[in-house]
Amino acid sequence: MDLRILLSLAFATLSAAQLTITVGLPAKPNPFLLPPSTHATLSSLHKRLEAPLTTVNTFNFHNVTADSYLLDVHCATEAFHPLRVDVGEDGEVKAWETYRGNEWANKGEEVPVKSEGGARGISVKGAGSKIFFVERPAFSVFSILKNPMILMGLVTMGIVFGMPYLMDNMDPELRAEFEERQKENPMNAIMGNAQAGQNPLGNFDMAAYLAGSGKKEGVKR
Amino acid sequence: MRRSLQSALLLGLSSLVAAVYKDEVGQIDFHHALVGLPQSETTFFHRPKKDEKASLLYTLSDVGVLGAVNPNSGALVWRHQIFPGISHGGGHLRAPEGENWIIAAHGQQVQSWAALSGRNLWQTEFNGQVKDLEVMELTESARKDVLVLYEEDGVTVLRRLHGVLGTVVWEFREVSKDIPLQVSTSLSKVYVISLHGSPSSYSLKVTSLEPATGGRVDHLTVGTKGDVQGPQDVMFVGANSAAPILAWASNDLTKLNVHILGTKSKQDFALPADTVSVEIHAPHLTQSQPHFLVHTRTTTGNKGEVFHTNIKSGQITKAYELPLLPGLGAFSTSSEGANVYFTRVTNDEVLVVSSDSHSVLARDPLKSDARVEAVHAVSEVIKKAGGKEFAIRSATVTKSQDWVLIRNGQIDWTRSEGLSGAVAAAWAEIPEAENLAKVLAEEAHTNPLDAYIHRLTRHINDLQYLPEYLATIPTRIIESVTGGAVVVSKTTGLHRDSFGFNKIIIVATRRGRFYALDTGNHGEIVWSADVFPQAPGSTLDVKGILVNDSEGTVTVRGANGEYAVIKVADGQVVESQSGSDLAAVSATAVVESEGSKWLLPLGQDRKPTGDALKDLTLDQTIVIREDDDSIKGVKFVNQDGEIIKNEIWQLQLLPGQKIASIAKTPAHDPIASIGRVLGDRSVNYKYLNPNVVVIAAIDTAASALSVYLLDTVTGQLLASQVHEGVDGDKDISCTLSENWYSCAFFGQYTLNDGTDRDIKGYQVVVSDLYESPAANDRGPLGDAETFSPLDPVDTPTGVPLPWVVSQTWILSEPLNNLSVTQTRQGISSRQLLAYLPESHAILGITRHGIDPRRPVGRDPSAAEIEAEGLARYTPAIFIDGRNLLSHERDVVGVSGIVTTPAVVESTSLLVAYGIDIFGTQISPSGQFDILDKGFNKVTLLATVLALTWGVVLLAPMVRRKQINRMWEAFL
Repeated sequence: MDLRILLSLAFATLSAAQLTITVGLPAKPNPFLLPPSTHATLSSLHKRLEAPLTTVNTFNFHNVTADSYLLDVHCATEAFHPLRVDVGEDGEVKAWETYRGNEWANKGEEVPVKSEGGARGISVKGAGSKIFFVERPAFSVFSILKNPMILMGLVTMGIVFGMPYLMDNMDPELRAEFEERQKENPMNAIMGNAQAGQNPLGNFDMAAYLAGSGKKEGVKR
Repeated sequence: MRRSLQSALLLGLSSLVAAVYKDEVGQIDFHHALVGLPQSETTFFHRPKKDEKASLLYTLSDVGVLGAVNPNSGALVWRHQIFPGISHGGGHLRAPEGENWIIAAHGQQVQSWAALSGRNLWQTEFNGQVKDLEVMELTESARKDVLVLYEEDGVTVLRRLHGVLGTVVWEFREVSKDIPLQVSTSLSKVYVISLHGSPSSYSLKVTSLEPATGGRVDHLTVGTKGDVQGPQDVMFVGANSAAPILAWASNDLTKLNVHILGTKSKQDFALPADTVSVEIHAPHLTQSQPHFLVHTRTTTGNKGEVFHTNIKSGQITKAYELPLLPGLGAFSTSSEGANVYFTRVTNDEVLVVSSDSHSVLARDPLKSDARVEAVHAVSEVIKKAGGKEFAIRSATVTKSQDWVLIRNGQIDWTRSEGLSGAVAAAWAEIPEAENLAKVLAEEAHTNPLDAYIHRLTRHINDLQYLPEYLATIPTRIIESVTGGAVVVSKTTGLHRDSFGFNKIIIVATRRGRFYALDTGNHGEIVWSADVFPQAPGSTLDVKGILVNDSEGTVTVRGANGEYAVIKVADGQVVESQSGSDLAAVSATAVVESEGSKWLLPLGQDRKPTGDALKDLTLDQTIVIREDDDSIKGVKFVNQDGEIIKNEIWQLQLLPGQKIASIAKTPAHDPIASIGRVLGDRSVNYKYLNPNVVVIAAIDTAASALSVYLLDTVTGQLLASQVHEGVDGDKDISCTLSENWYSCAFFGQYTLNDGTDRDIKGYQVVVSDLYESPAANDRGPLGDAETFSPLDPVDTPTGVPLPWVVSQTWILSEPLNNLSVTQTRQGISSRQLLAYLPESHAILGITRHGIDPRRPVGRDPSAAEIEAEGLARYTPAIFIDGRNLLSHERDVVGVSGIVTTPAVVESTSLLVAYGIDIFGTQISPSGQFDILDKGFNKVTLLATVLALTWGVVLLAPMVRRKQINRMWEAFL
């Protein structure tokens, strides 16, 4: 019996010497909503440790040996930033942010490591929710109307059709004044002199032209 | 650093073409989320919440998946693949009564899981192998603890673990040569049962321990020497009962020996004649009455005998027996307080008896569709509020490897768990439409008059379907207008469609059962057939599976020489041959002769088995892999009736190397373009050689991966690459298609470019092969129509070798089971497919995203962007969720991915098999040849109508105006 107690004691000290790393999750995304398949891995050459998500939102890696590990949290719905976790021979744990596609020595900010007896605690950062689907571009009248070209066209049309009505309804005095202004406007000379009322196309008789008869001819008859 | 991350993000976005639309989910893809076939010892109902009545169904299956299933709907609540890799059954699972956790053990690990959420509570690992696991229902404190029995190099170790924390409470070690079997507890003691003696003449040893300290109290030998031949003979060890029993049958199955743990004697009972198997069912609760049921299966039927244990006298008496009924039958135990109920599932009813007397408490006759052949079952018997009526639910595993829940004599749900553990899969065309082709071929071969008459009668015969067809036209038009996407077909049942999306996937499982799934009907099972039933513990190893679409059959060859030809349409086995060790097949080769393909089986000596080549000469070189991992190219020559293996070439791996992966060109690999137009309008010609194979050899000790590209005709090494620092313990996977190949692995090495940078992570290497490094140059072969690698080399440059362009990317996750999409003409760009074992998803990366031809260290020129769409090389590939073909689905344990082209060029069909089955349609270059759901026919019609209306309305106005103008002119 004494021997057994000794043995179990020896075992207890042995297990205490083995290093446990506890990885915590951030408060956002809500860790309680993560699917149970969420797990974390520590990987290095010829090593792969896996820890499932616990009820207290942590991942516990037991018996971690000395090495420089890549820590990934794999989750079906959320993405997390990877960490570099270095475990020393003496059980010292250091962690940094790491960037994929960069050399291993390119470390980011150091992540604080909490120490509780034989366990070391670090926490990861979220990198946003995963998006799985693309939106199907839906047809909408407003999407067409929102087009600046269409808007410009609509404004021009409003001016073309609305201006004559506006002119007609204008107070005669005001109108005279307006027309006077228009004459002065240098733009008018360039714009084809609307005052003269002689739009070169205004007199063009499309039907007559297509019928092959000249306008003057028609007038003669 | 930041910029590289951003560009990686952009790269992820650039391959958006392949993403899935939400409304396509369930339309283009299907998923069988399975747990595997439940094992009788590790399946039970358990209440995940102490104070709620609702219970879940828990199982640790034969494929090593621990799952919780909702017994009302059959839906998965959660599951974990707790065995890494492929398991062969076993494992232990227990649930303490009234606790919200369950405990599982396998290999070296013990894990405690939250019963409702499926999250881990604790896990611990010890040396040795777990032999048994038991819950200590009664401890000195309020909590419940766990007893784990380990075998550690001939040392029996029993540990009591703290139920909440998983720490060791005490440990019992015994250095003896005994084989630890099981652990059991009673109210006052812990018992370790082990086999004592030498193989084939064991006796049973029971060691009793003090529960609080683990101190040895006593040990005794039960039964005589030679009673037990091996561990499998001990049938049952009860636990947590007032009087746990230990039972074993005599060798000839005529006597059943029962020993009550804690007593000194054993009792024996005669078994019925022709007994085939015996099972014992007993309650696992301390407060239950010490009754147990012996279920005996004979050659003709099955019966149950109920025994009562008298705790005071230690005597076992037979209380009553249930009649012998035909069929396998299944019994299960459930207890409520002190009451013990035995539920019997027979061929035509489910009945419940109390352990006290043989009167039937409840009887549910089975409806005709619920008459399943039960193999084993677990049941939940609940006394209804009235006190007389009983509600029975039985989760039954049937002989057809389904898991069904029978309630009130009806099937509530069926889970096709036999579909799990697939080892091989092959695509097949739906055979029905072949008939017309056959008829037409027949017509072409007869004389014109006969053919004409035949055709006329056929058309007249077809007329009877005309009214039916005409009647469907209006509904079809309406549906096609309002339905959005093209409705493929409304026909039910197995049928082809014009786009070629409906195909059959034939799946062979390790249990020797074959399934056919219809991709046109959400992957529903068309048929299943138990072709090669496997003995417990053995699995089917499919060495070759080949579909013959013109005959509508599938040919399978297994490692033990199993051979079968199965009809694709209905699963009828046309021809079969069961396996034997003598006829072992080491590999098969797909050989093409006389226009048809067939499987050539090769024996252990790598020579054709049987007389397959007796009167057939084969001029193809066959690449074989020898036992020592050397690769050889051989020809089989028929010399006076004897087949001689002529070795043409061989590739001997370096000492320490092992083959990690072999990739060969897909059977269907059309090449649309032989060249690639570069930004300056010159052309790089692709190196297209159909006779190549990629071999990846790993030297685990040196951590070096060598990738060889071999010409299979000559054995010429066309290209080779060595990757340093590759982890051989993790998955290494390669694939080959068109003029490129790809390998994925875990690498940790220092770059040899002098910068002394370390790299660590999962990587994918893609290598392109071109005819020559210069553009517009076809290399030494020029425009030659044909070439033979066997011809003597008379070019000064030597053998024409490909020019290899290679690039490596780092990924956030491991990839395995690499594969490539296949389309009909090969015009659509290809996609690299892989399984992500960490994310449980299928990834599709467009070939464009991993094109090794790209500017490194500089931005692409305008011409390069415009003509080739090249992007600057960034070392990381960001795996975007939209690149996952399986999107939100959790696809577990994929062991292979097979693809096949559809009729439309844009689409490739994919099925991933393993524990789960997942199938989908992929359009690597977008759906350019069919209208997708985004095409709004209503809008189109509305636009056309609006324009017509406008024309109709404006026409008179214009006309009036013109006439007015004419009149004006006269005025």
